[in-house]
Amino acid sequence: MINKKMIFLISAFVLITFMSFNVHADDPNVCCEKTITGFYCQNAPQSQCDTSNGLRVANTACDSTSYCKTGTCFNSLQGTCLSNTPQNVCNNNGGTWSLLSPQSCNLGCCILGDQASFVSLTRCKYLSGQLGLSTNFNKGITDETQCILQVQNQDQGACVYSSDYQTTCKFTTRAECSTGINGTTSKGTFFKDKLCTAPELETNCAWSKQTSCRPGKDGVYFLDTCGNFANVYDSSKIPSGTNLNESGEAVQDYWTNVKTVDESCNPGSSNANSKSCGNCDYLSGSYCRASSVVNVNANYGDYVCADLNCASTSAGPKKHGESWCDYSNTGKPGTGINAVGSKFFKHICENGEEIVEPCADYRQEECIQSSINTSSGSFSQAACRVNRWQDCNSQTNKDDCTNTDVRDCTWLSGIELTSTSSNGGACVPKNAPGLNFWNSTTATSTCSQGSYTCTVTMEKGLLGGETCKSGCECLDSTWKQQRIDVCESLGDCGPKVNWIGDAGYTAGYNLTTK
Amino acid sequence: MSRKDYKDVLAKINMNKKGQVAIFVIVAIVIVGIILILFLYPKSPLAIPSGDLNPNTYLKSCVEKDLQSNVETLAANAGYSDVNSSNAATIMYKGENIKYLCYTNQFYQTCLVQQPLIKEHFENELSNIFSAKAAQCLQSLKTEFERRGYDVTLNGVNSSVSFNPGDILVSYSAPMTVKKAGNVRTYNGFDVSIGSNMYDLIMISTSIIDFESTLGDSEITSYMQYYPNLNIEKVKLSDGTKIYTVSDVVTKESFRFASRSLSWPPG
Repeated sequence: MINKKMIFLISAFVLITFMSFNVHADDPNVCCEKTITGFYCQNAPQSQCDTSNGLRVANTACDSTSYCKTGTCFNSLQGTCLSNTPQNVCNNNGGTWSLLSPQSCNLGCCILGDQASFVSLTRCKYLSGQLGLSTNFNKGITDETQCILQVQNQDQGACVYSSDYQTTCKFTTRAECSTGINGTTSKGTFFKDKLCTAPELETNCAWSKQTSCRPGKDGVYFLDTCGNFANVYDSSKIPSGTNLNESGEAVQDYWTNVKTVDESCNPGSSNANSKSCGNCDYLSGSYCRASSVVNVNANYGDYVCADLNCASTSAGPKKHGESWCDYSNTGKPGTGINAVGSKFFKHICENGEEIVEPCADYRQEECIQSSINTSSGSFSQAACRVNRWQDCNSQTNKDDCTNTDVRDCTWLSGIELTSTSSNGGACVPKNAPGLNFWNSTTATSTCSQGSYTCTVTMEKGLLGGETCKSGCECLDSTWKQQRIDVCESLGDCGPKVNWIGDAGYTAGYNLTTK
Repeated sequence: MSRKDYKDVLAKINMNKKGQVAIFVIVAIVIVGIILILFLYPKSPLAIPSGDLNPNTYLKSCVEKDLQSNVETLAANAGYSDVNSSNAATIMYKGENIKYLCYTNQFYQTCLVQQPLIKEHFENELSNIFSAKAAQCLQSLKTEFERRGYDVTLNGVNSSVSFNPGDILVSYSAPMTVKKAGNVRTYNGFDVSIGSNMYDLIMISTSIIDFESTLGDSEITSYMQYYPNLNIEKVKLSDGTKIYTVSDVVTKESFRFASRSLSWPPG
């Protein structure tokens, strides 16, 4: 006689929630030109619309109205464009609205002396005017990289011209020298790769001990008496006698010809906080800053190479620009078992400081990290990325489940998600999403997916005793833990701890045997 | 004419020629001297009846501290002066109301721009707040001139503030005439420039808003790597709101705003 003993093992993990956003079933959404909280063009219940001062309300979606239709807003003064702007918001603030991006928003290459900017024509005119330069805009260049290359290939040197009956000089590009200096029509004679302090040019510009930061360059540069940039600051190049420095070395060449960064002092090093060398390297973690900002004084001048690297962070020393992930909560990220209230953080080393950028709450974002090998060691980079957990539970095989191109799931072999499935495993989120369990009912339905009924068939022996015939795995001591793991990976379900490691007030599940 | 008489006549002629040369030399020296004075001292003290009181320097010292204070306060609220009323479109963060510049109340949708002309709006707010202090400083300048014995006529005061690359410009449209001892100087207005990188911070914020409204988020690390003096802090709140604080590590100025775009519901 076969004696069937039904064993019902039910794991129910209930964390009760309510909707985070109030649903107004009796107050359908309309288009509010402005809400009572001050937001423009929101689809919201009518009770939230501001109807004062003739503000409009439409029984339709905002995109269907004329005044809240979104398009591009063009700022004709600055030459900037902002997309996804409602028509009334743009026009009421003095912008020019259009449904499609207007021609005036098309970008091109704007040459600003020895700098370039990939902007619209209007913006190019504005920036050129601010810098006292004639507008040089090339709409044929449609790529920012190509635009930057335009100025990197420009000839630079001394432009000698007459002003107030004096022979003076400006260190600039060949283009500015031949078209008009300082936005004027006066032109000069260009000497490629020569400094304005070159003796043979016989200008009124002489060397000086003054230094400054140079736009578009990393290092500290000497200034001449006319205010032009000379070569990279190097205290050994200060003339002491006639064309000689304090050590008696000839320095005239350094004040005559343009020297590259590689020809300057201590190349290939950051020269951070160096008092004698201003050959900063941004990629190595140094950049020109005023001495007063970094509290380091140079031998000459008021600028030094500031150290931008982070000597000490939560993850040890980091280079400027490096970013890394942090999950300093309890729980096990990447296994589906995350603590309640936990989230990912992205840390960044910038300008000698460690900046913490939290990824989205409820683990709707996860932090991903990678590193590249450089000549000066490993360089890590991290980013908060959307957690694509939504369709994990519907995957029925391992390959689909672990396809990282489309989802962020993990495959639990030998465990079935539901009592009716037979996939040889369960696909669950790699990082379980957080649930608003204290204020929503959706948590109940999410966690109930972890409920499981296991039927065990037992056969009674002739001389007594029972033998398990099917479903025997449910009697194994590991089965309970497997069901708990599945349950926890669905969200904030089961016997989880919170982000500081405290357990809940209840077990988080029920186990019933019938 | 005898040989001796001839010699006398020649001597007289030579003496007259020497006198003419001397006169020419003196005249030439005077002309050169005048030219030198004009070139070396193009701004002769006679041309400025205000003496050692430079109106621009005086106004700059008067407005600078208050202007920077007002800019700092407004910049913390995205350029808005009223962020505490119930309809100010703000979010409470650490006890302060932060203004939204891009917002949607929906999930899964990118935000709608709430203020497309951030710079111009900031300038208007700042000009309104600062107009009283600007007028007070100009009145103070008038009083200072009068204390120094000048007769001053001031016809109305209009001031505006604008952000430009590298500075904040306080522009006075205030016709003023300063008289003393027959010397008269007329000013149509004054432009007071105060060093600031707020313009750059506003334009970078505008770019962040563009990314928020188009893509739903912005990558702040890229901005900081492109602009070495820039620091951006991004804090994400549980409802999907992001608080951005864009600051300059050299000038210590900052601009703060909020955005809610492409957010997801819990679970």
